[in-house]
Amino acid sequence: MNRRGFLKFAAGGTVGLAASPVIWNTLYDAVYWTQNWGWIPRLQKGASEYLPTISKVCPSGTGIRVRLVGGRPVRALGNPGNAMSQGALTALAAAETQLQVSPARLKTPLKRSPDGAYVAISWEEAEKMLRDKALEARGAMACISGDPTSSVNEVFTGFMNAMGSDDFYFMPGEELPALKAWSLMGGQGRLGYDIEHSDFVLSIGANFLESWGTVARNRKAFSAGRPAGQKPALKVAYAGPVQNNTAAGADWWLPIRPDTEMALALGVAHLVIKKGKAPFRIGLPAFAALAERYDPATVAKLTGVDAARLEAVVDALLEAQKPLVITGSPLGAGGAAGPIMAAIAINILLDRVGKEGNLVDLSFPSPVVNGATHIRSLLARDLVAWTQAVAAGKAPAPKMLMIYDANPLYALPAGSGMAEVLDRTPFTVALASFMSETCARCDLVLPAAMGLERFDDACTPYGSGQFSYSIAAPVVEPFYEARPAGELIIALAQELGVDLGVEDMPQLLHKKALSMGADFRALTESGGVFTDDAQRSPVVPLFNTAALQAAITTPAGSSDASVRLAPVLVLGMGTPQTAIPPFATKIIADYQLKGMDSVAQMNSATAAKLGVRQGERVKLQSAAATVTVLVDLFEGVQTDTVALCAGLGHTAFDEFSRGKGINITTLTSVSREPGTGLSVWGGAELARA
Amino acid sequence: MEERNHSTAPDTAQSCRCCGWGAFVVGLVAALILGWWVLPGLMKEDKKQPVAFNHVLHVQDQGISCEQCHFLRKDGSFSGLPTTASCAECHFEVLGSDPEEALFVRNYVRTGREIRGEWLVYQKQPDNVLFSHAPHLGDLETAASAAELCSRCHLDVSATTTPPVYTENRLSGYSQNTMLMWECEQCHADTRLRDPESHASNACFVCHK
Repeated sequence: MNRRGFLKFAAGGTVGLAASPVIWNTLYDAVYWTQNWGWIPRLQKGASEYLPTISKVCPSGTGIRVRLVGGRPVRALGNPGNAMSQGALTALAAAETQLQVSPARLKTPLKRSPDGAYVAISWEEAEKMLRDKALEARGAMACISGDPTSSVNEVFTGFMNAMGSDDFYFMPGEELPALKAWSLMGGQGRLGYDIEHSDFVLSIGANFLESWGTVARNRKAFSAGRPAGQKPALKVAYAGPVQNNTAAGADWWLPIRPDTEMALALGVAHLVIKKGKAPFRIGLPAFAALAERYDPATVAKLTGVDAARLEAVVDALLEAQKPLVITGSPLGAGGAAGPIMAAIAINILLDRVGKEGNLVDLSFPSPVVNGATHIRSLLARDLVAWTQAVAAGKAPAPKMLMIYDANPLYALPAGSGMAEVLDRTPFTVALASFMSETCARCDLVLPAAMGLERFDDACTPYGSGQFSYSIAAPVVEPFYEARPAGELIIALAQELGVDLGVEDMPQLLHKKALSMGADFRALTESGGVFTDDAQRSPVVPLFNTAALQAAITTPAGSSDASVRLAPVLVLGMGTPQTAIPPFATKIIADYQLKGMDSVAQMNSATAAKLGVRQGERVKLQSAAATVTVLVDLFEGVQTDTVALCAGLGHTAFDEFSRGKGINITTLTSVSREPGTGLSVWGGAELARA
Repeated sequence: MEERNHSTAPDTAQSCRCCGWGAFVVGLVAALILGWWVLPGLMKEDKKQPVAFNHVLHVQDQGISCEQCHFLRKDGSFSGLPTTASCAECHFEVLGSDPEEALFVRNYVRTGREIRGEWLVYQKQPDNVLFSHAPHLGDLETAASAAELCSRCHLDVSATTTPPVYTENRLSGYSQNTMLMWECEQCHADTRLRDPESHASNACFVCHK
């Protein structure tokens, strides 16, 4: 065939193909092909079912219903049958199901090899290692727990006490200073907050609509007290350095300087006494003499709050029938007892303590595990005081340290001594669900089942207004090779001949429920909450002016070139144990984290003082660390104050958290609160580096 | 002016004029054969179901209705194919002499493997289509039978002793029987013409959320 013939053959072929469907069909198929790349996840369909339980990731134990499709958990929904959360969800509870498959999830036991790398080992090997080390560490064992609401702590303390060790500590939270303050002011049990029945809440530093206490319940109470289009039955005043969500929802926002909560509280007390509304009570004259020093002008100077505005809030407080004053620490840990005592004193002045809509005294549950330490005793222990003592050589380092559901290496501030404790302890074991900073320093890392995969419970989370008890029942088998930590320790105790009086966690929870008159089966089947107002004790509050006086510190001001740190805590950033839940990344705003940088919010006056501009990347330094942040101008921050989000700056976990932003606890340092001796942190003086 | 020859071919080639048209026709015919019969066949691959399920035996001989295995759940979602567990309610052990049944019991019931995950679905829609069976079964009462209603979209397998051959497009990965968008649209348009109050709109979001 010559050239011309070939061209005609090709032309004929082209016409023939064009007249056939093959080209068009191939193009059509190619379109479908591009829509079905192999890496696109495929839906796995199946029957839907909804199983009730509670969120153990959320510190307030929010009630949830987990939707399962074909037996796989796919979504956490609110549980209207749970009297505490009433169908509402927190950002953490909403992320429960996705966290189960988080990239940072621990899948198998890991042992640190001599070169520092982790190698996967079998559970048999891990259990043998744990058993051998526990025997070696008899009498010198310690434990740090990150879940103060769970009965699994009884398993740990029962086992440790039988092994001759009593060094058990909770991660610091709001509970420790509240317990200290409450006991100093006449309380016998646990401090509770009856927000639902209050008609006026003055919150001094407690971001109760966003991160403080039982958030879902708080928001439900707020919502019920402020029906749309109707006259509010609940009024709210918030005092804090940053216009957060609580400030935005409040009727009054009092923008105070950081760390001046106590001065503001005493200023409020001063006005209440001055307006003659406080009934006589033993100790009032001494307290009044203390409060006398905090007149509006002095308070305005100390806190930055306009005197007339403060007086207007106090007038509204006095007009209310059932007012309530609450306080909270900006980091949710490391807070002082002083401001809480001052707030309790205001409630005493208002003659409301122990009454409906005010502070209540809630009892502690009794232990049901043989040899377990009472929860009241555990909550009163100061972890940082112990870690600092070990680091300084004033207390012996344990031979074995168990860290359960906690990430102290990340969450504790500079100078806490936690890193030194880990270095000095010959054997450290982490029982956790995610590869945290602390896990990455432990000798043995054991994958713990998450709340949706185990039996657990939550008894009266901090901030509750009632004695409450709810049970987490597993909705699915543990993912990967995870095991429930409680079952693991019970089995270890049995092997070492320790009789804890319980065979497994369901039996423990059954006994626990029975001990308080709750129905184990009903709670597991409904995901509901057992509440008992009979466990609310009568309280005779007293003005402990001496303790209050001792706890007063001069609010640290700022120099001509420095400003104060105002930590901002939001649940969307996760907890130190979870880091940022991948599911929650979409609710983190550009004014909190932009790209890989933490955003420092400040008003224009502060920016001018520091000599920075909107969007500028600057270095800020405290006495403890230097960090790089992006500047964002926001007039909702008190002057001479820089607001920075907590929960960022992880060096472990996964791509959703690692290397994003800065960990603001590194900026803060530990100090001792005068009088109470509690370890406190959260504030810092910052200057441009 | 002297005529110039621009051709680079030898002169002898110009003498074969009919050869050029013949080449065109040959090319045309060859391409038509390729395009209509050969290539479409090469683009497809026939696959067998993991078990040769006999509908006749179950429906006609055992009197099992379609809805016993393929039903709408209370929440409106469609059960689709039965699970190994639901098959095992009867076939917990080999009941008859059919080797396919023995194969199913050995490979799936005893091992716990899920047959539903391996069954090739003739009309499977991709995940970007939100298809709900519930509104499409609305006129069940007007249909002659459930089989008749289902077979408006699906292959009628109720009278088959072995599953039809599953033909898959090698490029797209779709079954040959997958209903394409124009077919959905046509039916929606017809339904809307018959009943303007119908929700069978052809708006994108009706099927693509």
